[in-house]
Amino acid sequence: MNSRLTLWWSRLAAMTVKELLQLFRDGFLMFAIVFLFTADIYMTRNVRLELNHATVVVHDADHSAASRELIYRFRPPYFQLGGEIQDSREGQALLDQGQALAVLDIPPYFQRDLQSGRPTDVQVLVDTSNTVLGTLAASYSGQIIGRYGFEAALARMGASEASLDTVPMIQDQHRVWYNPNQNDAWFIPISELLTVITVMAIMLPAAAAVREKERGTIEQLLVSPLTPALILLPKVISMTLVILAGTAISLFLVLVPVFGVPIKGSLPLFFAVTTLYTVATSGLGLYIATLSRNLAQAAMLAIFILMPMVFLSGAWTPPEAMPAGLREAMYLSPLYYFIEMGYGILLKGAGLDVLWDSLLGLTLLGVGIFGFGVRRFRRQFG
Amino acid sequence: MGEAAPLTPAPAVRVQGFGKRYRRQAAVAGVDLEVRRGEIYGLIGPDGAGKSSLMKAVAGVLAFEEGSIEMFGIRIDSEAAAERVKGRLGFMPQGLGLNLYPELSVEENIDFFARLRGVPAAEIAARKAKLLAMTRLDRFTGRPMKHLSGGMKQKLGLVCTLIHEPELIVLDEPTTGVDPVSRRDFWAILAELLREKGITALISTAYMDEAERFHRLSLMHGGRVLASGEPDAIRARTPGSVLELEAEPQVEALDRIQASLAQAESVGPRLRVFVDDAAPEAAVGTVAGLLKGLSLRDLHATTPDLEDAFVALLRRQRLVEERAVAKPRAGDGDPPGDDVAILAKDLTRDFDGFRAVDRASFTVHQGDIFGLVGANGAGKTTLIKMLTGILPPSDGEGRVAGADMHFAAQAIKARIGYTSQAFSLYQDLSVLENLRLYARIYGVARHAAGERIEQVAELTGLTGRERQLAGRLPLGIRQRLALACAMVHRPRILFLDEPTSGVDPIGRRRFWDILVHLARVEQVAILITTHYMSEAEHCDRLALMHAGRIVADDPPAALKQALREEAGELLEVATDRPLAAMALLEQAGFAGVALFGRHIHLFARDAHTATREIQTILAGRGIGLASVTPRPPSLEDVFVYRITALEQGEQRL
Repeated sequence: MNSRLTLWWSRLAAMTVKELLQLFRDGFLMFAIVFLFTADIYMTRNVRLELNHATVVVHDADHSAASRELIYRFRPPYFQLGGEIQDSREGQALLDQGQALAVLDIPPYFQRDLQSGRPTDVQVLVDTSNTVLGTLAASYSGQIIGRYGFEAALARMGASEASLDTVPMIQDQHRVWYNPNQNDAWFIPISELLTVITVMAIMLPAAAAVREKERGTIEQLLVSPLTPALILLPKVISMTLVILAGTAISLFLVLVPVFGVPIKGSLPLFFAVTTLYTVATSGLGLYIATLSRNLAQAAMLAIFILMPMVFLSGAWTPPEAMPAGLREAMYLSPLYYFIEMGYGILLKGAGLDVLWDSLLGLTLLGVGIFGFGVRRFRRQFG
Repeated sequence: MGEAAPLTPAPAVRVQGFGKRYRRQAAVAGVDLEVRRGEIYGLIGPDGAGKSSLMKAVAGVLAFEEGSIEMFGIRIDSEAAAERVKGRLGFMPQGLGLNLYPELSVEENIDFFARLRGVPAAEIAARKAKLLAMTRLDRFTGRPMKHLSGGMKQKLGLVCTLIHEPELIVLDEPTTGVDPVSRRDFWAILAELLREKGITALISTAYMDEAERFHRLSLMHGGRVLASGEPDAIRARTPGSVLELEAEPQVEALDRIQASLAQAESVGPRLRVFVDDAAPEAAVGTVAGLLKGLSLRDLHATTPDLEDAFVALLRRQRLVEERAVAKPRAGDGDPPGDDVAILAKDLTRDFDGFRAVDRASFTVHQGDIFGLVGANGAGKTTLIKMLTGILPPSDGEGRVAGADMHFAAQAIKARIGYTSQAFSLYQDLSVLENLRLYARIYGVARHAAGERIEQVAELTGLTGRERQLAGRLPLGIRQRLALACAMVHRPRILFLDEPTSGVDPIGRRRFWDILVHLARVEQVAILITTHYMSEAEHCDRLALMHAGRIVADDPPAALKQALREEAGELLEVATDRPLAAMALLEQAGFAGVALFGRHIHLFARDAHTATREIQTILAGRGIGLASVTPRPPSLEDVFVYRITALEQGEQRL
């Protein structure tokens, strides 16, 4: 019995070393791995989910001190002025061409009306084809104009800004937790890293298995005394090792030094969760390998599986923004749990006492997915 | 159309100083050849000889750097020039049905090529009907191409190549991977089509024994032409004699001969020796002298074939890799255990109502080389899958290496070695890494593995190449690596599925040297499949499979003897108008009439009466008869005769 176990381990080790050797000799794949874990995540450095010098063009029909005052409140970093236009039709055209995000339209007699206390309107046209930016632009400009109107009203009443303190008002004081500076620079690269891990966890085992089919080497293995488990486990083990190494590199060479992501929770827990997630997801890779005859087919199928998985994970769209139905469907995306735990551990310093339910969810789902992948693989190669 | 092609000023193809490089590697260099109108010109050589590059360049689908190619007197030096001759040219690339569309039916494929080539709509139907009838594909017009057999795919490829009635067709290895019966069928159809249309053909092949099909040919190796001319003229380039003999003990006899003569090999129970520059009598004396003290039988001279000449040419031009294969020392390996290695009894395998293997029974003893031959789809692969423990049999029994197939598949897998048809080792691992991997997979103890790996590397001539990546090795050496990996755990039985496909004759000889030593010295049982009938001669026993059944199982000599008793003597008829003569002889009721270049082969009960009959028939039509000579039948003759007889029997049912 003991010698059989030794033999089993020896075979497992030999096959795992073989997988790693093959991977290291595949220049293209190695480049892709290194690129995705470093440069790709580094490139998210300048991606912000906030307004960044959004262009505003102005149609100023008043040309007064008051209108100038309002216009110059649309300032960097959120806005920048894209110049003045002669009529509103021109503004429409600039919006259509995407050369401006918003058009500010100031009517004639703006200053006169404002000073005489008559109600007056300004029009803001916003391009919200990109909802996030559009909504932000509408909301920010609303705030700017509101604030200006408020100040103008105070001035007419002869009150200064300082006297505002005596006016009864609700002071809105919010505290932001976990990411007090609301630093997008943390959220996006982590999201990207977890997505890269997902892509790798599906693609690498699928590629390793399909390559054996493509080159016919699987035939030689099937005639050997290897069991299907000894063919597939080394692929999962070696690829998980590679992904863990990639994650460590990404974390310590990119996320922490470049983005200043704080690692508030336990690193061992983070890597343990990553391992669990990678193994679970590799089941999908193995399943893909049983369906495809070559690498191109495997890549197509991987995209087919990846897209809904990422969409339903909360990586880009928070669960709170999902309609009923899809929101429940998120429980089927292993990436959903992984993201919960990834943010939880890295940003919130959460431990198992908080994350146990996500861990349980991922474990159950993982057993299901991996078991399914292994079953399909064994059926084809058993 | 006369058979002696009319002398025309410009040849169909003239190639001068042709050279082609891929990156910095020269694939072909300095090739000159001339294909006359109306002839079948052959390019013969192993994989990597440069045949495909040359053919693609002639077909105008490959740009080249050196030399010139002229077609019908038009120099092909630009896109425009290539365009001008394209209509007069048909090209069939390498690979079974690679130029066809798998999803389209036979008829749709032909229609597509007809329209592509701008064949007038009015003519399509007539041409199609004629070609379909000749290739006997007319019963399958509605069948999708992907469901055709290998031989049928090649015939369809030929039809699609001929639909626009080209004057020259270029066929790249049309018979590779096709079984001998379909191969012979293909040649017959081709000969008939060419005769009728007066077409010129440039055809490449990796099978040396197809040389007789060509009027003239070029032998290629390593991107160069070794020799060109008629088959007889090429054989004459390497003067010498070929001897065959039986000697006991065979291994010692071979060792002694190889010590002083470079070109010697064992072929089954016999040895075949090429003695340079010696008349037959002198050669017999030389060999007998070398083997003094051993028991010799049946030492005689025989006609050298093209493969002998090819190997001799390579030797003379010093293109042969130094002989590196070491001999295993007697006593290597386990002592022979129970004598029976493989026992199959009524093995049967069904797939969804289709019987792939039907009651196959045979026995292979330790130390035997057992050959399995048959067309694609005859059931060889399924049979091997059952024997190697991958596929459980539906019915029947089998024991392999002492383990029962029904209950101990895993034990079988551990005790056998296997190499698959395609090279199935890791190309991105080095020789040593591959060997180590398989040593560990098969559970060779760590302390013993190093020594054993050294041993198999030496035996297969891989010493010194341990650090090279498997993917960078030449084909022949790769196959030896596959063999080395398969035997690293000292299996008692080796399964080799077409191990020498595409390997050059020298590589094949070296491979067989190793196999013979394994069988004779280490008593390993070897089960091998092959499409090379010349290679089947090496086997101690040969099983012929057809439609899932084993229809013959005997030593090669016995198979040939049985053929003589059943069909008679094989006669070779040389005439000045072989095509016309062939038709007449077929009408006269001779069996197995087939055209080989300028010669006709046929079977006759009695050589004397048959010769007189042939003389009368041909003289009656004014066809000149040069000679009628009896020839020893080859295993291909056996194969084709048996399978054809079985197929005809089925059709009658």
